[in-house]
Formats: sequence, C-alpha cells, structure tokens
Amino acid sequence: MSKSVVLAAHNITAGYGGHPAINDISVELREDEVLCLIGHNGAGKSTLMKCLFGLLASEAGSITIDGEETTKETARQVADRGVAMVPEGRGVFPSLSVRDIFSLGMHAAGIPKKERADRVDWVLDILPAIKEFMNRPAGTLSGGQQQMVSIGRALLNRPRILLMDEPSIGLAPKLFQDLLAPIRALQQREKLSILLVEQNVREALKISDRAVVMKSGSMIWEGMPEELHDNERLMELY
Amino acid sequence: MLALQLTITGLQTGALYALTAVGFSLIFGSTRIFHFAHGATFIIAAYLFYYMNVSGYGLIAGIAAATAGAIAFGLLLNRFVYVPIQRDEGSFFTVFVASFGIGIVVQNVVGMIFGRGYVTVSTPLSFSVEIMEGLYVAPIAWISMLCAAVFFGILWGFLKYSQMGKALRALADNPELVRVFGLNPRFIAASAFTIGSILVVPAAIISGATSGLNPAMGHHVMLISLAATIVGGIGSVPGTLLAGLALGLAESLALLYVDSQWTEAVTFAILFLFIIIRPSGLLGRSAAH
Ligand SMILES: Nc1ncnc2c1ncn2[C@@H]1O[C@H](COP(=O)(O)OP(=O)(O)OP(=O)(O)O)[C@@H](O)[C@H]1O
Ligand SMILES: [Mg+2]
Repeated sequence: MSKSVVLAAHNITAGYGGHPAINDISVELREDEVLCLIGHNGAGKSTLMKCLFGLLASEAGSITIDGEETTKETARQVADRGVAMVPEGRGVFPSLSVRDIFSLGMHAAGIPKKERADRVDWVLDILPAIKEFMNRPAGTLSGGQQQMVSIGRALLNRPRILLMDEPSIGLAPKLFQDLLAPIRALQQREKLSILLVEQNVREALKISDRAVVMKSGSMIWEGMPEELHDNERLMELY
Repeated sequence: MLALQLTITGLQTGALYALTAVGFSLIFGSTRIFHFAHGATFIIAAYLFYYMNVSGYGLIAGIAAATAGAIAFGLLLNRFVYVPIQRDEGSFFTVFVASFGIGIVVQNVVGMIFGRGYVTVSTPLSFSVEIMEGLYVAPIAWISMLCAAVFFGILWGFLKYSQMGKALRALADNPELVRVFGLNPRFIAASAFTIGSILVVPAAIISGATSGLNPAMGHHVMLISLAATIVGGIGSVPGTLLAGLALGLAESLALLYVDSQWTEAVTFAILFLFIIIRPSGLLGRSAAH
C-alpha cells in the first residue's frame, strides 16, 4: 500500500533574476515519511525549498499540497495549510527574546491565545534545553542554541509538513544526533511528513525513509537511504 | 535665571525634536528606508492644523486633520514611491533622491497655497506667564513636555508588549525571516510609517502654536531627526529620544554663548563630534551595519 502524497513539485523551474537555479524539478513528499534531500553547495536545495514554501515564485511548473494547487500562494497561505519551515542559517531574530520569538510565531500563525502556553510547554518537552534561555535575546545565544529555537518555533505551529533546511548547521555532531532522535520520534508519533536538507548526510540518512539527490539544479537520483549508505555510491553521484 | 529660562525652553524644543526624531528613527530602523520626506510630513500636519484653525473648525478637528494628513502622506509615499523602488531593487540612493524630491515638492506646494512667510496659530496657551521673578514660561511648554512623555510612554509599551512592536524589531533584524514566520513585511512596514508619521503630529501642532511655521521648516526638522538618529544610535528608540532632548537643550543653552543664527551649527557640531568619537551613537549597538 503506497502512502498518499502530501506535498509535490511538478516540473518546477525557478531562480533569481532570470537565471534558473533549479530546472524542471519534480519531487513528492508523502505522508508519514522523512525525505532526505542532499546535494552539493549550490545544487539548488534551498531554492527548491523556498519555492515549496511560497517564498520564491517559480517560473514554470506547479506545486500541490494535498492535491490542491498552491503554486501562487504566499508563505502565509502555505503555512495555513499546515506547513512549517526551518530556514537555512539563523532562523531567529537577534533582538527578540526566545519567548518573544515564540509568541510572535504563534501570533503569526493565528494560534488562539489560550492555547499558546500549552504549545510552548509541548515544544519544551521535545527540546528541553531551550528552557535555560527562554528570556535571553536570541542574538546572545550560540549558533546551536539559535538553531534549536528555530526548530522549536516551527514545531509550535504543530505542522503536518515540516521543511528543514540544514538544521545541523552550528550544532555539534552529538547535539545533532540528540536533536534528530526526538524529531524522528515526534514524526512517527504524529505521522508528520518531513523534507530534510542536510550536508550531514550520514546522520540524516539514518532517520530518513527515502532520499533524493540534486546536482546543478536537477534531480539526479531517487531511492532508499540504504542504497546510499555505502560511500562509493554517494561519491559516484556527487 | 537666564540659564534656567533657556533650559526650560530647551527642554520644550527638545521634547518636540525627540518626538519627530523617534518617528524617523522608527521608520528607518525597521524598514531601512531613508524617509527624507519625514520633514514634509511635519509641514503637512502643521499646515493642516493651521488651516483648520484659521478656518474656525476648532482644536479637535485641527488635530484630527493633522493626524489624518500625516498618516495618509506617510502611507501613500510608502505605497507608491518606496515599495515600487524597492521592488525594482532600487538602491538606498534612489530612495533618498525620490524622498528628497518629494520633500521639495511639498515645500513648494505649501508655499504656493499659504505663502512663504511665517505663520503662527496663536492660542491663549502660547503667551508666556511669569512663574518666578524673571522666568517666563508659556503653558504650552509644559504641554509639550507632557505630550512627549505621554507619547513615549505609549510607544514604549507598544514596542515592548504588542505583537506589532515585536514585528517591527523583527523586520529590522531580518525581513526575509519575517516571511518565513508567515508575517507580511509590507504590512509591518506600513505600520512603521503610520506610527512614525503620528509621532510628528504633536511636534507640528505645538511648533505652529509657539515658534511659528514656514514651508522650509521641513529641512530643519529633517536635520534634527537625522542628527538625533545618528547621535542616539541607529535603531535605538531610547537613544534617539535622549539625543533629541539633548539637541534641543544644546541649541537653547548655546544662546548663552553664541548668537541665535548659530543654532544649526551647534547641531552639526554635535553630530560631527559623535561621528568622530562615537559612531555607534549614545545607545547604539556596534557600528557594523
Ligand atoms: N538570493 C540569491 N540571489 C541570487 N542567486 C542565488 C540566491 N540564492 C541562491 N542563488 C544561487 O542559486 C543557486 C542555488 O542556490 P541554493 O541556495 O538553492 O543552493 P543549495 O543547494 O541550498 O546550497 P547550500 O548547500 O550551499 O545551501 C546557486 O548557484 C546560488 O548561487
Ligand atoms: Mg542551501
């Protein structure tokens, strides 16, 4: 029995200022799976993710969520469909405290005031380390701590579909593993769909159900993580 | 006694400078738009109040018209000039020139309608009373200071506790990330223009009732706003407030030593001093921007 597709790109071409950064990309994210997207620097992974989340307009092709076309929707509208994104790099506002970032995120997502405290508690259960620095300006946190806050903020929306762009940046390898475990557990418990972009391929593949590889703006491989596990295969593809 | 007199006058002027400057600083801080026409907002609000007053519509209608005019001007300028320029990846310089040009147009149009000379709105509160021997203060001086205090109190609460206040700081930090959060940067920027333009109104009205108005005043207003923003530390609202007050005081107290035609030079001297000695300003973060 195959799982249904929740988020799909159909022949997407997009780029910046007339130069396409991704070309004719098609990819499907299914319910209750972690799909790992890997590729060289500049392969177009982040560009694809921005298109999927409505942050960047595509030049050709279409995007669907639960079978409904969302190609022209804004990030706000895509988020309302239950999608959240952990962006590449620093996903926090340096001058706001962690508490304020969380409350602004929930305000933006239209979460009712009376639910907000419970949501925060729920996220702090998943990422307990954040408790230590709830009241500090995010700009004073270490890169890894900021990354946790960024992930926590995305989880507050209780998304069905989570797009994560290199969440391991700035995290110690051990910390990254510690972070992936609860996210994988959460994903399985709540049947989330996660699109995970990672340079840290080995760790990412361990928690992935499927993998796709991009190179120079094109999709060049799709398959099971096990097939990529042996290094030679990866080398070949890159 | 003269020093005390000048201190009170200086605080009154400084309170008004602080309000105007904080309006500019708030807009620049959150949107990075160099809103040079902020001085024109001042002129529009001031002359609308003057017009309503001489036409006999009364105080409340005058305040309402000035406020509505200031907000409308700020929002329209943002929507029809700054947004299109930014959409076409227009540079900081393009924005500056466009804004400067609009300031000139406003000055000339106002000059055509109301004349280029000084006009004043005189109210019973504008006349000085002797509160101590040799110390003359008009009731409106206290009103200016009170007005500034009330506005800053509200602004402080708004920036600290409201979601829009947080969103303004968020926009200053990272406009791209604002979209990832699902917020609309355009709406936040429009709010910055609304609030920034409202902050000009009390200063415009009170200036009209004290020192008087002329269409070229926008330049002075802009100079002060810019100086206070830099001296206070770009992006720091409390810093800009303090700097505005300090500039008003300095201008006034300088009269102890120099002639009144030198007041702008005093502003510039303070500005240059800060640029050389402390480029990040009174309360600014690092100069790296
Ligand atoms: N804001 C931008 N403006 C112009 N070109 C861009 C922009 N962002 C990315 N590009 C270009 O688009 C291409 C794809 O970039 P993208 O960020 O999608 O790569 P990536 O696979 O995410 O790389 P990395 O692993 O380094 O994050 C690159 O050639 C890059 O130079
Ligand atoms: Mg990337």
